Amino acid sequence: MTETPRRIFAGDTGTRTVVFPWRRTLGMCWANVHNRRGRFLLTLVCVGVTVAFLMATMTWHTILADLGASGDVHVRAVLERAGAFTGDEASLTKQRHQRIWILSLAAVLCVTGITNTMLMSVTERSGEIGTLKCLGSLNAFVVRLFLLESLLVGLIGSAAGALVGYLLGVAQAAVTLEPAVLSGRHLLLPLAVSAPIAVAAGTVLTVISAAYPTWVAARMSPVEAMRVEV
Amino acid sequence: MIGREIVRTQDVTKIYRMGREEVPALGGVSLSVHAGEYVSIMGPSGSGKSTLFNMIGGLDKPTGGEVYIDEVDIAQLGIYELAWLRCRKIGYIFQTFNLIPVMNALENVTLPMVFAGLGADEARDKGAALLARVGLGDRLNHKPGEMSGGQQQRVAIARALANDPAIILADEPTGNLDLRTGRSIIDLLSSMKAERGVTVITATHDMKMLAASDRVVWITDGTISRIQRREEMDINVGTIDGKEE
Repeated sequence: MTETPRRIFAGDTGTRTVVFPWRRTLGMCWANVHNRRGRFLLTLVCVGVTVAFLMATMTWHTILADLGASGDVHVRAVLERAGAFTGDEASLTKQRHQRIWILSLAAVLCVTGITNTMLMSVTERSGEIGTLKCLGSLNAFVVRLFLLESLLVGLIGSAAGALVGYLLGVAQAAVTLEPAVLSGRHLLLPLAVSAPIAVAAGTVLTVISAAYPTWVAARMSPVEAMRVEV
Repeated sequence: MIGREIVRTQDVTKIYRMGREEVPALGGVSLSVHAGEYVSIMGPSGSGKSTLFNMIGGLDKPTGGEVYIDEVDIAQLGIYELAWLRCRKIGYIFQTFNLIPVMNALENVTLPMVFAGLGADEARDKGAALLARVGLGDRLNHKPGEMSGGQQQRVAIARALANDPAIILADEPTGNLDLRTGRSIIDLLSSMKAERGVTVITATHDMKMLAASDRVVWITDGTISRIQRREEMDINVGTIDGKEE
């Protein structure tokens, strides 16, 4: 021990930025998600419905675009009968803008819903957050915990939503168009092209929604956090 | 057996702001605690003892005055140093146990070790040994919800000792426990003090705590009204409610 005035305590041998193992963090997140199924179900539904909507729209349009590109007379006739084919560029653009507008609205609703749910979760768990801080966790760890949880939920919700959306989109195509014009290619194309986009979009939305609640959790002082009674 | 000063507060004041009103919680508390001492901060609720407790634990910042832990002014510490202090220097015990509900006893105890950078195997062994020491060697895989209050508080004590802290801060450790369980928790704390030489500071209004304490600091209205050593206490124990000085 040094006798000179010091800011750092004796015995502090360097490694002050301890890296909490990812596996342990992930395990903790999973346990949390599992233990609060009810609460996370809300988030899952929220992101799931949004992603399903996005995926259904994308599936439908991927199939349409692919069919539209074919020169087959019969396919064109089917598309026209379904009112799904038009050579009019202007009205196509207008439709696209409408879609983007509706999807954006859905995204905003989704973000609001998830943020609200996560804020409630932060309040519920503030005692836990305070305890973690008392045990020597850095704010960065709390951030990581909450973001990773939202990432997990976002992935699960988006994957489920994408599956439902895909089925809806295919069903729409099968009902509106003639099942005979659909080939395996039309079934695989949306899965390959649209599904990754939908899942990524849903996950990103969830993590964005979690940003503010996470910030609230990280910035709580331990005393404040433990004083909150739920 | 007076060791070096491990905790010292110097004219610590705390004023809470409630909207426009200022509520004084502490009005200049100077106190020093020596290494290896068992000190109880006694006082009714609202007396400021929890506030003082939070100041000593580095959980809250004083409005005025300084708190020194091991001669380091903790107001000067950055976030890393503060986290380090909470992780290794101080072990906290709470009235409501505050175990992480999704983790079993062993995981709860090893959590601070992971924060301190201990390897998984080492942490496991040490955690199991600590749990065995507090009498829960057969409860390693129980979740907090599957344990009684007394058992949970034992886990909390094992967790507080995880990184061999110099100080154990216990806020109403017996507050949620029945008489007998509370008694056993106090016994456990005093034997930890004896075995490990750890300094124990409790904020409490549990009179059972008196007998275990080396010193009792009475807080009234945010100031120290008197400090009693154990020797003096034996005389006064029957007339605790009396206000004689």
